[in-house]
Amino acid sequence: MRLNSFKYLVKQGFKGIWFNRVNSFASLCVITISLLMVGISVLLSFNITKMIGAIESRNEVIVVIEDGAPENNVAMLGEELAGNSNVFEVNFYSKDQAWVDMQADMSEDEKALFQYMSRNPLPDCYRIRVKEIGELSKTVSWIQGLEFVDQVQAPNDFANILIGIRNVCTILFSAITLSLIIVCFVIISNSTRASVYARRREINIMRYVGASKSFIEIPFFVEGMVIGIVSAAIAFGLTWFAYTEVFKMFSTDVNMLSIFGLSALIPFEEIALGTGIAYAVFGVLLSGVGTVISTRKHLNV
Amino acid sequence: MVEFRNVSYTYPTGQQALNRVNLKIDDNEFAFVVGANGAGKSTLIKLILRELTATEGEVIVNGFNLNHMKQRRVPKLRRTIGVVFQDFRLIPNMTVYDNVAFALRVIDAPIKYIRTRVPYVINLVGLETKAKSYPNDLSGGEQQRVALARALVNDPQLIIADEPTGNVDPARSFEIVDLLKAINACGTTVLMVTHQHDLVRYFGGRIININTGAVVFDEVIGGADEAQ
Repeated sequence: MRLNSFKYLVKQGFKGIWFNRVNSFASLCVITISLLMVGISVLLSFNITKMIGAIESRNEVIVVIEDGAPENNVAMLGEELAGNSNVFEVNFYSKDQAWVDMQADMSEDEKALFQYMSRNPLPDCYRIRVKEIGELSKTVSWIQGLEFVDQVQAPNDFANILIGIRNVCTILFSAITLSLIIVCFVIISNSTRASVYARRREINIMRYVGASKSFIEIPFFVEGMVIGIVSAAIAFGLTWFAYTEVFKMFSTDVNMLSIFGLSALIPFEEIALGTGIAYAVFGVLLSGVGTVISTRKHLNV
Repeated sequence: MVEFRNVSYTYPTGQQALNRVNLKIDDNEFAFVVGANGAGKSTLIKLILRELTATEGEVIVNGFNLNHMKQRRVPKLRRTIGVVFQDFRLIPNMTVYDNVAFALRVIDAPIKYIRTRVPYVINLVGLETKAKSYPNDLSGGEQQRVALARALVNDPQLIIADEPTGNVDPARSFEIVDLLKAINACGTTVLMVTHQHDLVRYFGGRIININTGAVVFDEVIGGADEAQ
């Protein structure tokens, strides 16, 4: 194809957007919203995964050993714990060490209160870390069943909440993506049909003078691609703004910091390029492929 | 050259539009196709343009056998044919120049060729002063000349004029046919479908009469213009 013809077709694509501006705008809005929702779902999913990872790395399960358990049994318990596939670190924390640490944290008044105690009231325990927080409750149940274990203290509830959120996000993300893709295709199909109708006279003449199929289809494809790229750019801008605001909120809120720590949210700069590329590819694919399919459906060349 | 060999066409509804038509229009010929509404004239044109494929028989146009033609080759066939319609089918938001150039642009013609060919053809149909006008600013006769220029600009071997004078006043109708005759004299085959018997009688030549899907008359008659 000659460069001149290519320029002509691109120009026709832009003209098509303008002549069909109401439908083009509708397509643009729907694709932007779709990209935005899918993008936010993905970013949310990434961040929740990261938060869970951060909590996983700081989580600690305390296995309290029965008072009076024989030393060799305590050692065997340690070996049993270390042998579990979900346990990656096991540390013995003796009652004496616990007593020393506790006293170190006490004020003078508190120390005075405890100096009359003849016996260390604290138990021996194991401090363990798990690999996969999703398996935490299963691991805790297993530990509770072991001999000489008095009780197990684990951040079960919080982990369950996070896992629940992650699962809901995954389901929501999939459902939103699927339904938005369908909605996008319907809107693009309608928009293309309107565009074909608006240009039916030209298309008819093009057919009679011997324009090739691709020559007739290319302006519609250009139209779809442009709408896809513009939608991606708008969605990217909105995501940038919204994400930065949420990030600021997380970085300045003390409660959030105490729960998730400083590194819980991924800074936008780290994911900007990937997000931009994903938006552009998804936008162009959604709009371009949608346009090609609907052009072939509505344009009986 | 257009050749129909025992061509029949039946629409999917079961209505038979053409029945065993045999017809040959040689290169450089001028033929009028006449017949009542529903006689099969439009089907004949659609078969020539490969909008329809014959259900029986063979259609050969400008060296293309349309029965065995793949869909992707149809544009190549159509580049050898110029079509003029009763309703002109001009693009209202394009100037006369752009309407004519459009036919070349969409077949990927070189820009230099467009720049020389379009003014030449506009000049040929006598609209050199109207090149920058829009179709709605022109009379019916002038619009039909634009349509004719657009059909001619590809330098086709065959021109199909489907009721080209249907929306033109009688005086301008004769001018349009005169123009088609002039184009024919330059070597282009012309097939003109018309209802206007006065035109046919005036110009004469080969007359093909189609009635209920069959060619009932195909002869050359002398025209009144020759007698004058």
